[in-house]
Amino acid sequence: MPEELAVRIEDLSIKYKINVDTKRTLKNAVMRASKGERVRTRVVEAVKHLTLDVPHGSVLGIVGANGAGKSTLMRSIAGILPPTEGRIIVNGKISTLLALGVGFNPALSGRDNIILGGLASGMTRDEIEAKTEEISDFAALPDGFIDMPVRTYSSGMYGRVAFSVAVNMTPDILLLDEALSAGDASFKEKSFNRMRELCKEARTIVIVSHALATINELCDSAIWMHKGTMLAKGKPDAIVDQYLKFLDVGALPSNFEDM
Amino acid sequence: MSGPVKNSDFVSKIQVFEPHKAALPPLVPYFKEFWKRRAFATELARFADKAEYLDSKFGKVWLVLNPLLLAMVYFLLVTVIRGSSSKNLGLTTLAHILIGLFTFYFAQNCISAGAQSITAGGRLILNQAFPRALLPFSSTISAFQQFLPTIPVYVFVIVVGKHFFPTTQVPGLTWNYLWVPFIVLMVGLTGFGLALLFATMNVYFRDTNKLLTYMTRIWLYLSPILWQPSMLHGWHKMAIYLNPLGPVLSATSDVWINGKSPSLTIILGSLFWAAFAILFGGYFFISRERDFAVRI
Repeated sequence: MPEELAVRIEDLSIKYKINVDTKRTLKNAVMRASKGERVRTRVVEAVKHLTLDVPHGSVLGIVGANGAGKSTLMRSIAGILPPTEGRIIVNGKISTLLALGVGFNPALSGRDNIILGGLASGMTRDEIEAKTEEISDFAALPDGFIDMPVRTYSSGMYGRVAFSVAVNMTPDILLLDEALSAGDASFKEKSFNRMRELCKEARTIVIVSHALATINELCDSAIWMHKGTMLAKGKPDAIVDQYLKFLDVGALPSNFEDM
Repeated sequence: MSGPVKNSDFVSKIQVFEPHKAALPPLVPYFKEFWKRRAFATELARFADKAEYLDSKFGKVWLVLNPLLLAMVYFLLVTVIRGSSSKNLGLTTLAHILIGLFTFYFAQNCISAGAQSITAGGRLILNQAFPRALLPFSSTISAFQQFLPTIPVYVFVIVVGKHFFPTTQVPGLTWNYLWVPFIVLMVGLTGFGLALLFATMNVYFRDTNKLLTYMTRIWLYLSPILWQPSMLHGWHKMAIYLNPLGPVLSATSDVWINGKSPSLTIILGSLFWAAFAILFGGYFFISRERDFAVRI
């Protein structure tokens, strides 16, 4: 793989089986077996034959409707979901901030959660402790909140801590899935600045967002995914325009306000 | 902040994610990552105790008090059913039930907490890539930390008991206690292996945990805790070896109650079950853990 690439995705396909039955219990399984019924499953093809190179120091935006496979793609780059076909080569340390919460334990304090997250991502205790101050300063929570249980946080505070952890782990590759909606205008400004800083240090960012203005403002290239395939790739404004046309709403200002 | 990242910095950090042709992922990198993140498991165990307030004074007392009270109940039951026995035998029975229950509880805590560790750690699993076996491993560490304070409690009961009934058969200080670390290790390994198995099952069948409650209760009665292994004769002795905790609980009786070292068959039995649980549970877990992220 060429040295200037951070991520190379070669003909990637990801399929997984989902269980259609609502209650996945042993009791139901035994009942079904006794009636001779088969388990009802459905194969989801989340990503289909996707090939993509992301160079170091670039910011890639991914747009697409719900169910386009954006989050699955992010998870596979992070190494959480293995490919069904194809290959992903990742060159550098990854930090993720993916959708569906951040893995915080609500009973533990923000500080404890930061330490746990760092250890899970493979940092040593000393490394993560050196970072904790930086992270809590960046999140700028009201006095003393960093040592209080996460369940006492407002959703904005929660999102700010999560974002601070992701950007302050000095990742080579930062994966953000709908992570920029947290926080107020001033925090947003701060996060944008932090991300630009990361880019200057030749770090790579991949952003999934429905806030198209964010994609336009931060990214230097974008892709549009639809039902698992990559429909278009190019300059962010061109991609966003195409995507909006596809959505058949035109470039209405309302779409730019939801960031 | 560190300066601009040079390409040469990346060379050792390249990761390749490919489809796994075999059921198991490449094991050497898996265990390397596991070992690298062992601090995560120990911290998670500590934080889990913190979240449940088990690191508070009363929390710890409760951990010891719970099996202690249960032991009292069983002791009363056993002595009532068996009828009056000499006072010396009474202390032996109590000691046997106590150490048996404490040891059994260690394994049971490994399994029940470990079985829930994956479904409970859902968000962490969806967000970060790490060897998932760290989560049940953390439960095992937690169970071990809960087991440790029960040993001084046992010693205290025996010291007081020996003071009042000096002729009891319960041994004083002997070299045989050197077997204790081996026994604890075997219980821990068997517990961890079974935790891996049930954690995986719990992802597929969410009622596994409920079933486990009944299973462990029956398992307790089938184990040599309320009865002594020496009460079995002839082919009934098979009951010890068919039970994953049977040999190791017999070894517990030998060392703590009879004051002798466990027999070779008991040692081999303990080793067999520990190895079997780790290999079987480990294979079951690791070959399926990449599926967890989509099933949680």
